[in-house]
Amino acid sequence: MSAGKILVIDDDPQIRRVMRSTLTSHGYQVNDARSGEEGLQELRNSSYDLVLLDMNMPGMGGMEACRLIRSSSDTAIIMLTVNNSERQKVDALDAGADDYVTKPFSTPELLARIRASLRRLPQLPGYADLQPLAAEGVNIDLSSREVTVNGRNSRLTAREFGLLTYFLTRPNKTIAHRELLQAVWGPDYGDELEYLRVFVNRLRKKIEPDPSKPMFLVTDAWAGYRFHLPQ
Amino acid sequence: MTAAARRKEHVLDNSDRLASARKSFRLVLRVSASLAFIAATTFMLFRVVPVNPTTAGFLFLVAILLIATKGGLVESTIASVAAMLCFNFFFLPPIGTLTIADPQNWVALFAFLATSLTASQLSARAKRRAVEAEERRGEVERLYALSRGLLLIDNSQAVAKQIVQQISQTCEIPTVALYVRGTGELYRSGFTEADVDVKLRDAAVRSAVLKEDGTNLIVTPIRLGGEPIGSIALTGSTLSDAALQSLLNLVAIGLERATSQKAVTQAEVARQSEELKSTLLDAIAHEFKTPLTSIKAVTTDLLSRTPDSLQPHQRELISIADESTDRLSKLVTDAIQLARIEGGTFRLNLGIHFPSSLINAALRQMKSLIEERKIDVNVPDDLPPVRVDSGLIEVVLTHLLDNALKYSPPDNPIRIGARLGEGKVIVYLVDKGKGIGEAEQAQVFEKFYRGRNERHLQGTGMGLAIAREILRAHGEDIALTSTPGQGSEFSFGLPIAPGVISQ
Repeated sequence: MSAGKILVIDDDPQIRRVMRSTLTSHGYQVNDARSGEEGLQELRNSSYDLVLLDMNMPGMGGMEACRLIRSSSDTAIIMLTVNNSERQKVDALDAGADDYVTKPFSTPELLARIRASLRRLPQLPGYADLQPLAAEGVNIDLSSREVTVNGRNSRLTAREFGLLTYFLTRPNKTIAHRELLQAVWGPDYGDELEYLRVFVNRLRKKIEPDPSKPMFLVTDAWAGYRFHLPQ
Repeated sequence: MTAAARRKEHVLDNSDRLASARKSFRLVLRVSASLAFIAATTFMLFRVVPVNPTTAGFLFLVAILLIATKGGLVESTIASVAAMLCFNFFFLPPIGTLTIADPQNWVALFAFLATSLTASQLSARAKRRAVEAEERRGEVERLYALSRGLLLIDNSQAVAKQIVQQISQTCEIPTVALYVRGTGELYRSGFTEADVDVKLRDAAVRSAVLKEDGTNLIVTPIRLGGEPIGSIALTGSTLSDAALQSLLNLVAIGLERATSQKAVTQAEVARQSEELKSTLLDAIAHEFKTPLTSIKAVTTDLLSRTPDSLQPHQRELISIADESTDRLSKLVTDAIQLARIEGGTFRLNLGIHFPSSLINAALRQMKSLIEERKIDVNVPDDLPPVRVDSGLIEVVLTHLLDNALKYSPPDNPIRIGARLGEGKVIVYLVDKGKGIGEAEQAQVFEKFYRGRNERHLQGTGMGLAIAREILRAHGEDIALTSTPGQGSEFSFGLPIAPGVISQ
């Protein structure tokens, strides 16, 4: 059985060759596309567990491709780029990517990121007892990962869902950044505050009636985040 | 005086004389016409329709009024005196003489003279007013035309020239010169002698008005907010003082507008060239890093396989390829970073960060290199957050760490930490290496400089130069204290985030 189905979108033929060979030898089922447009077409034809997306491509470019993939699918996306600036990382995560790897990368590092992105979240303590949340016009259905806010419907990606369930099992308690990162992203993480900032904002856009004035996902300055559950 | 100038003066003299002769001729003509009119009136009243003295007096007054409205003060005054003489001679008894028998008629005669003279004065004054009002209207129209013209100035070309042309066209002043203080631009139109240049500069510097009555020259500074921004010279201007002042204000505004537009254009050009440079550097980075990515993926994949999948010498060869890839990749990164910093194409992305998270992020980036080294980290938890570009400060820290790892023996520990000092957070990095001699301490921050006895070590010679430039962009600097044989300490301050009270 394959460890997962991966689509590699990169305009460089050598990188596509290396990725296909490496990932296949590690048990993944791999397909590739030469551009964002081609990748989107491929994603319409069949489903993938994860997309490795190059940031810098002729045509629509990685950032736009990421946005378009995210608008129609909740598959995991890892963006690959030569630019290591904080701004670009945040932009990539904002566009809907789950993670970000800087080129050149080492294969073990990339494999670790892929595993982390595909990792099924462990059954968190108390997860089974969680009730669907329904308050203030907000309805979160944990089994289907569907959120309805004042009639507006959206679906959470796996990572967003992981973050939300971690909050829901610890309501009204401030959770430190590091704890959140290690629990939801994995033990290799801990200092990537920008990941948290972006994902918390993404969650707010989906679950808050007014994302600019959050009533559930509250920031505790310098300490972490807290999920405020109306009693 | 040159012969040409003398000739010119002669011509000028002649034309002046001609104009004044023409003027007196016209006056003589007008006086004769009004005298003829009085003579005709006298003839009509005495021979054609004989009237009594009272009616004659009134009709003479009407004739004087007609002359006063048509002509000027001179002819109406002369006509008044002539009419009085005719009135006396032909109508006041004894008729045919200039003597007056009845004393009452003396009174009538003087009343007639006083009335006609006053009427002449009043009428002439009203006429002068009308002419003046007409002139003012003309001035306002010209100033309006000038203000529109100044708005259309194309600031990609010489501004002074365009302003001078606008003034000479719209205000019909043939000789105009303008000096712009900010750019040193000077343009003359109609002026033949260059000594006006000196007068213009002088007026702009001393902010004083110069009036020469002989040549009718006015040189006056152009002020904006009290400060002279240039000066203008005019000759033969018919403008009133008020209109001249308005003209100066318009020119001041026009100049200021042109200057500020130019500044905006220059800033725009600078921004575009910065963007182009930045895009170019991004493209170069991408082109170099893409093939390196494939190589690195291959070498790391092979090296991560189980130990028995490769023969020892194969593993050694692949390790060499892997390390060389890292080296090349670092070289590209450093060169692009340095080009970006030196080309001024990077902007600080300031944010609020904890010193501990900055140091941890740098250590995490260097993880593979520091695994076998002893690193003492000492960052107190209660340090306030700092306002920096986190990505760039991590670059500084990784370069310093890289430097310490390279220049100190593997068994000696490296200390990295932060403390509060001088209202900042001071980050320091201490190694127990060979140290740097005093002579070399300033040189190590120069780009491409490599330690004298360390040429065998791999490095780009750009790390410390990049670190210092990044800190300077933050308004900080890097300090080095070192004792040969004992080790070195690099330290730098980071500004505490505003609004945070430091304990």
